[in-house]
Amino acid sequence: MNAMVEIKDFSIQLGSFKLKNINLNIFDNEIFAVLGKTGSGKTVLLESIAGFYRRFSGNVTIQGKSVIEIPLEKRKIGFVYQDFGLFPHMTVYDNICYGLKIQKMDKEKRKKKVAEMAEILSIEHILKQYPGTLSGGERQRTALARALVLNPKMLLMDEPFSALDPATKQSMYEQIKEIHKIFGCTILFVTHDFNEAQIMADRIGIMVNGELRGIRKSTDLFKKCQDEDINNFLCGNSRGEKDAI
Amino acid sequence: MKKRTHLFNLFEIISIITAAVVVVFTSVLILTIIVRGFPYLQEAFLSEEIQFSIKLSLYTASIATFICMFLGVPTAYALTRTSFPFKKLCQIIIELPLSMPYLVLGLSLLLIFSSDLGKALKELGFRVVFDKNGIILAQTVVNLPYVIRFIRTAFQEVDERLEFISGSLGASKWKRFTTITVPLSKNAIIATIILTWSRCLGEFGATLMLVGATRMKTETLTTSIYLNLATGDNGAAMASATIILIISFTSLFITNWLGRKNSKESRMKDVTLR
Repeated sequence: MNAMVEIKDFSIQLGSFKLKNINLNIFDNEIFAVLGKTGSGKTVLLESIAGFYRRFSGNVTIQGKSVIEIPLEKRKIGFVYQDFGLFPHMTVYDNICYGLKIQKMDKEKRKKKVAEMAEILSIEHILKQYPGTLSGGERQRTALARALVLNPKMLLMDEPFSALDPATKQSMYEQIKEIHKIFGCTILFVTHDFNEAQIMADRIGIMVNGELRGIRKSTDLFKKCQDEDINNFLCGNSRGEKDAI
Repeated sequence: MKKRTHLFNLFEIISIITAAVVVVFTSVLILTIIVRGFPYLQEAFLSEEIQFSIKLSLYTASIATFICMFLGVPTAYALTRTSFPFKKLCQIIIELPLSMPYLVLGLSLLLIFSSDLGKALKELGFRVVFDKNGIILAQTVVNLPYVIRFIRTAFQEVDERLEFISGSLGASKWKRFTTITVPLSKNAIIATIILTWSRCLGEFGATLMLVGATRMKTETLTTSIYLNLATGDNGAAMASATIILIISFTSLFITNWLGRKNSKESRMKDVTLR
């Protein structure tokens, strides 16, 4: 399997918080979840992979190229933030269309692409609305549509389901898996929800206090290991799954 | 719970009373200008001298505002979105004139443009001292730090993650600036333009030092007030003040109107916080 992302000996200091010595490979077409408590460094890891930070030690490469050497506009990554980061001064249509306009795509083609994406994500009815008037689920679908309409090589999502109600969450899990099949992109997402990580991901990375302590197949998430911090974390959060450890 | 509500109401009442005191005090100031200036207003509008000062004020304030924005926007961008050596020091230097008396700024300009440099510029056809170019320069120097401060604050308030997302969608830095940063700080930019223009209209100290106060030559509206007061013509002075007031009121009204017009729809639009 080819590595889409390679992280070698990566460390970064942000104020008093430090992400320490991360080593990780994420493969082509894989769905990878980063699991950890609040403040464990999940989002910083995700932003580092996206090339948000310029001062760090170690290496982050996307398809063999150092991420900070690729100009942001040419990285071909889709990024969905926890609060979805929609452009508040643009309608849903203009948000989705933004990247296509930048690519100077023909107006008719743009319309067609947006319509296709809106149909896949069931947001045809809100295309003329501004983000301020949308519900959490609608915002999330819009953010996904905006990222996916450009067929990115990789989709990075920061706790994308945390603001959704259980029913919407379930339907979004299915939708994301469907999208993964259709678009064939690598998906990396951050979550603190064990269930979500197991349902969605092929592999799961566990973050504890700024360190990536373990990488497991999602089916082996609750397997007992030598690292007491991981055991405590999985135990303390899974409740019903305690017996498995 | 009841006690809390009571305290909250007391705080609201004190705030409203304080606001009322400020409104009354400001209204008295404004009314004094209007009451004393209004009887002379028609005469002032017909006076060739006042017409000259209105034209000169509008011309110099407009050019100075344009220059302030032309220099202020890129500077504010550099201070908020780029990193370069001694950035903090540069920011302090840029904003230092905010705390300096305008007379001192005007005096510095006078010293610079009375030197060999000023004389060389004069020979090249760019007169500053005792010329309307000097008025524009004085208004620019006085207001540029304000413009940079306002625009810098506006740019800082734009969520940089939105620019990052815009970049990840393929936008170059210029596109990110024009499609995200500027539209999201549009209201602040418009307000800055109008307030700067109003401040340029009212500028006096630095202008007086650099170009003096010569009737029908360097006579802006504020200089006209000064000259008329010096000759004891209080009515004409208050009429000029009333004209400045009318222009300022109009510009503030436009600022507020544009601010309302540009506010985006939100789920909170009909909610009153209680």
